[in-house]
Amino acid sequence: MFDKLKSMLAKVEAEYADIRHEVRNETRIAFNGKELTEIGSNTTDGYVLRILNKGGYASISFTNPDQHEKAITTASENATLMSRLTRNPVVFKKTPIIKDHYSPKLQEDPREVTIDEKLRLTKKYNDIALGKDKIATTSIIYAELSRDKHFLSTEGSEIREELITVRISGLITSRDGKLIQNVRVAAGGSNGFAVLRNRENEFEKRTGIAVDLLKAQSIQGGCYNAVVNQSLGGVFTHEAFGHFSEADIIENNRTMRERMKIGAKLGSAIVNIIDDPTMPDQLGHYRYDDEGVAACRTSLLRNGVLVGRLHSRRTAAAFGEPVTGHCVAEGYRYAPIIRMGTIFVEPDKNTLEGLLDQLGNGFYLLDAKGGQTSGENFTFGAQYGYIVKSGKIGAMVRDINISGNLYQTLSSIVAIGNDLKLSETGGCGKGQTNIRSCYGTPHMLINNLIIGGS
Amino acid sequence: MEELIKKAKAQSDQAEVYCLEQQQNDVEFENGILKDIKSTMHGGITLRVIENKKLGFAYTRNIKDQETLIQNAKRSLTGGVDANYDFPFTKKAASLDSYDPAIDGTTSTIIVDECSRIHDQLKSRTKGQVNIRAGTAVTGIRIINSSGTGLSTRNSHYYISVAIVYPGSATGIHRSLEFKSFKEIESSFLDNLAELYNKSEKEIDKARGRMKILLMPEAMYTLIWRLQSATSGESLYHKQSPLADSLENKIFDEKLSIVNNPLDDVYPGARAFDDEGVACREMVIIDKGCLQSYYHDLYYASKLQAESTGNGYKTSRWGGDTLSTKPAPALRHLMIRPGSTDFWQLIEKIDRGIVICGALGAHSGNIPNGDFSIGLSPGLYVEKGEIIGRIKDAMIAGNIYSVMKRVVDIENKLHPAYTGYYPAILFDEMNVATKN
Repeated sequence: MFDKLKSMLAKVEAEYADIRHEVRNETRIAFNGKELTEIGSNTTDGYVLRILNKGGYASISFTNPDQHEKAITTASENATLMSRLTRNPVVFKKTPIIKDHYSPKLQEDPREVTIDEKLRLTKKYNDIALGKDKIATTSIIYAELSRDKHFLSTEGSEIREELITVRISGLITSRDGKLIQNVRVAAGGSNGFAVLRNRENEFEKRTGIAVDLLKAQSIQGGCYNAVVNQSLGGVFTHEAFGHFSEADIIENNRTMRERMKIGAKLGSAIVNIIDDPTMPDQLGHYRYDDEGVAACRTSLLRNGVLVGRLHSRRTAAAFGEPVTGHCVAEGYRYAPIIRMGTIFVEPDKNTLEGLLDQLGNGFYLLDAKGGQTSGENFTFGAQYGYIVKSGKIGAMVRDINISGNLYQTLSSIVAIGNDLKLSETGGCGKGQTNIRSCYGTPHMLINNLIIGGS
Repeated sequence: MEELIKKAKAQSDQAEVYCLEQQQNDVEFENGILKDIKSTMHGGITLRVIENKKLGFAYTRNIKDQETLIQNAKRSLTGGVDANYDFPFTKKAASLDSYDPAIDGTTSTIIVDECSRIHDQLKSRTKGQVNIRAGTAVTGIRIINSSGTGLSTRNSHYYISVAIVYPGSATGIHRSLEFKSFKEIESSFLDNLAELYNKSEKEIDKARGRMKILLMPEAMYTLIWRLQSATSGESLYHKQSPLADSLENKIFDEKLSIVNNPLDDVYPGARAFDDEGVACREMVIIDKGCLQSYYHDLYYASKLQAESTGNGYKTSRWGGDTLSTKPAPALRHLMIRPGSTDFWQLIEKIDRGIVICGALGAHSGNIPNGDFSIGLSPGLYVEKGEIIGRIKDAMIAGNIYSVMKRVVDIENKLHPAYTGYYPAILFDEMNVATKN
């Protein structure tokens, strides 16, 4: 493959170019309720070419190799156009030339498990949910994605990286008359098929929550103190802070760059946030990003102070900061953009019981239900929660969506637990869905959360 | 394709080939700086085969390797996915004006020049940062099947999305326009955008409690997603629709009529047939507040002993690959019928209220039940018929079956927005939660 890519790159007349070819093999098995609605394995492939010339930058994704000359012409013309017009010439930060072939170690290679066995396991977990009263339906999917990436640059980097992600996940829906509730369920990771075995308890537990939600009370909208669990804390960290540590979000926003200067105090002194794609066995693990840069453990917030940022080669040069290896593409249909890898809040000393004691009265909110960021504002949903009175967990609540503001909410984290847990599945939708987006925190006590409620 | 369908049919009872070609060119401006120009040239094929009432499905980008595609579809057959339907014979589909050849002459230079012009015009009228995205797309679809259907369509699309961002923030006033080919943006569009921004520059912290809500087209998908879920054949079959057995019932305010019309080729994206080769048709979903229709693809129509309504589309959210998805019931050409009131007259009707220009977290609530809970991004505060600023850190929550019963008035104009073409709609009082 490298020879084929070399022959394509040889036709590019520019100061810099790189090309990535990716083969994606996807296996999907889907149940809607008791019915199997999809099963199969398919392979697709495509190319992404990026050109940098005289301060102009452009990219193109194409799927037919016979059209590579047209692709080169289009990207070259667009790079020339940008070079002619831009007030901010694009520069790539210098990075080491890398030649490597990397495949993470797997605990049971999913490609060696038969599709029949994958079907049996998915059906078993689906049946657990369907076997309970009040469960109206399910949507449970086995999804396996293996990516074989070849990256070649005119600087001389030649990198092959193979990444495999598996998950069994979906939605369990309960119903009582016209009232419908649902809860998400997920098991998965990037370190092999073994993570999917023996997960019956997880599916049992989530089914129980779906049924219990039918009797839960709607939370009343307002401003509350709450303890959030690891999943919810993870999405909170991803949405409330993580996206602002992605340099491309604030690159051309002068006022936000001013507020997000290294050294800015953004959170309480107990908060330390790190992004580390190099952690093995985690969903977000990779060794090289899609610019051929080695991924780095990057400290972002230290004692509440901004100390780092996630970068591409372009933004690292523009900000005069180190490259971090966080420029990642969902696949061959996209040029890479800056993404979080594995973002987490460092644990402290508190137990969950201790955090609930500190809370006194408020809510214990659990499990993320998706989040969204727009500028400094963000929301994220909790799948369920409990009223807490005098530190004791009481009745279940539902319909919980939380809103906040970057500049205030990190300062509202008042205590952090000792029980860090990272997510097994992800799905950040910043322009292109990154299913390897990994996040987590310990339990945390946060004051003054705005909850939409009912 | 003809050769592929012949080979696939020889090995199964029925076969269908779907061929997709897409070309896109996108330009991104931030704060007057040309940030990115990106292009795509994608092609691909999906194959569906039916044998003994079971479905096999496969897809590829490699259009030369037909044999692997057929084998993948045949292997998929062994799973036993039901297919109690036939691929349709659609002799002829409506002839639509969905492609404007002028799109081919819309170069990156033309788009970049237009973005620069708009940036300069808005910068002279506002203090906010101006961000613009614009681009072209040409999509070709061809479907042939063993029942004799052979259909093709070509769609051209030019879009431009303009945002004016508040200082120290990445949130602002934003609006999009869509055409079948390049068109210069009219100054009235920019005037409205600038006026909304300028009136909402000041941050207000006194807005809380119950007040009227003017939902802008850009936030309308919050409600529409829940209606789409409730009227889908998929939700009906899986017993997760609160609107089962509600046909002809009044479920919303009588001012609301909602139509899905793929045949309306005034707008880009018109379709004469869906992604299964079934002829499309105009469908009234809500007529004066009454539920009129559910929508189906072939699969869920067969499960419900109904007929496909021509709403089987390959869809995905958050930038996913539609080629790899099977058709599912979808409403892709929605329109809420406009009212008769000018936008600024709607504002004058508000004693105290919020204009919701963007929604955050619309996907997080309990969609099947109709519940929503969204962050306002941004929410403009109105007092005595005047926008006097914007509120920070606020949320509203509700249920569409309650909120959509209380429509005060509807704007007289349609705007392209995510999931369809909508007017702004003024709803009666809702609770606004804030930090204070």
